[in-house]
Amino acid sequence: MANADVPLSTDPLPGVLRAPAAIVVQWLPLGVVTALWELASGRVVDRAVLPSPVTVAGAIGDLIATGEVVPHLTVSLIRVAIGLGSSVAVGVALGVGMARSKPVEDFFDAFLTMTYPVPKTALVPLAILGLGVGTEATVSIVFLACLLPVVLNAYNAAGDVDRNLVWSARMMGTGERRVLWKVVVPATVPEIVTGIRQAIPIAFVALVSAELVASNRGIGHLILSAGQLGNYPRMFAAIVVISAVAYVAVRWFELLCDRVIAWT
Amino acid sequence: MTDGRVTVSNLKKVYGEADEGEFLSVVGPSGCGKSTLLYLIAGFLDPTSGTVAVDGEPIDGPGTDRGVVFQDYALFPWRTVEGNTTYGLEEAGVPESEREAIAERYIEMMDLDGFEEKYPEELSGGMRQRVSLARTLAYDPAILLMDEPFGALDRPLRESLQDHLLDIWRDLEKTVVFITHDVEEAVYLSERVLIMTRHPGTKKAMTEVDLDRSKGREAIVTSDAFTRTKNAVWRSLREETETGTEAR
Repeated sequence: MANADVPLSTDPLPGVLRAPAAIVVQWLPLGVVTALWELASGRVVDRAVLPSPVTVAGAIGDLIATGEVVPHLTVSLIRVAIGLGSSVAVGVALGVGMARSKPVEDFFDAFLTMTYPVPKTALVPLAILGLGVGTEATVSIVFLACLLPVVLNAYNAAGDVDRNLVWSARMMGTGERRVLWKVVVPATVPEIVTGIRQAIPIAFVALVSAELVASNRGIGHLILSAGQLGNYPRMFAAIVVISAVAYVAVRWFELLCDRVIAWT
Repeated sequence: MTDGRVTVSNLKKVYGEADEGEFLSVVGPSGCGKSTLLYLIAGFLDPTSGTVAVDGEPIDGPGTDRGVVFQDYALFPWRTVEGNTTYGLEEAGVPESEREAIAERYIEMMDLDGFEEKYPEELSGGMRQRVSLARTLAYDPAILLMDEPFGALDRPLRESLQDHLLDIWRDLEKTVVFITHDVEEAVYLSERVLIMTRHPGTKKAMTEVDLDRSKGREAIVTSDAFTRTKNAVWRSLREETETGTEAR
């Protein structure tokens, strides 16, 4: 109130500095962890066991320069895409079906509630037993791990769709079943997207865990084999690579959603 | 083609009837089931006894002979103004080229030209309600069922939309069943006002509204006939609220 010319603002920084400041704040924790890592390496922990970030950076450079990482990363990304993709297809259908049909809900509800707390990676040995070592086993673990966030988000949202939207469509000639596709699914899209957003990191967790034992290829396998050989810089390099890829995947998905869903 | 006569009845008597092309308002104490009555006519709810008939034929669920306008607009947020307006035509299988022309006509009728590509989120409440009207009119139902459509709007907007609705009603010759809790609104708009009892929500009275509507709002609302009818409806409604309070 003191000076009417000063625009209202809750931010102490002038406009031009806000974006750079946000970037600094965003990356600060990562910087701090890297700095602590650098300090610990060779001082607190033996350099052979915990190689310094600089050494790891070199190992990442080697992995990329030799092209060694490419086939592993390709296999891993394909597995994530298939596992996540199928969990979205099945999960949306299941979630919407459960929300809009009592028998479907009754059929799956107890089952999903009981399997929810089971760590899906605990099923890796079972997957190997049934499907052998390879893509089938890892994909099915990724699929199972991603299914629940997708189902639950779709289920909750599809159950909450504004009754008047459904009624309006029914009045305009949309049949009872068709309304699912014409109204319930589009109305649920924002929450479906949230479910997928939550499922992406879970997909990578499941992928790497499964690949550690159930695969002879992929980033998870790369991590394990380097560890077993005692090549710790290489092991850390593979971990950093998959973390970066997962981060990019999430950001890319968020950008994609902003573009595709113009109406939220 | 539907003529648009709505009859709500049970075995013994006709509960209420809206003739084709009539503007009928329903007023009643809150909680008396005005909206329930509308949902029964819409076919969203099944009557536990009695029937709802359109042109003498009992209805079987929702249908395109009727159109609903809700207080909260109920627009599809993922569709633009044009996308909302063409929805009913799409469902009726109207070819795309015709759809756009028809939609454009109603978008213009509701003064929404220039907003075709906007999403409901980007519009004000008054504009959203006009989109909702355009969407309903576009597929040409004979009967408009309106559930307190202007209840959430401020007075100037409400009055302009009321006049707009009257123009449309006259031009398009629709039967309108209009739910409201606003006595003035009911009398201003309708040819007849159905007053409902408090509990159970049944018909208390049907009041004829006889106004010379050729002159415009100011002349109408300041006329003796308007005041007299409004007071009569208000008193009748007041009795209901009073008995309701005493009964408690």
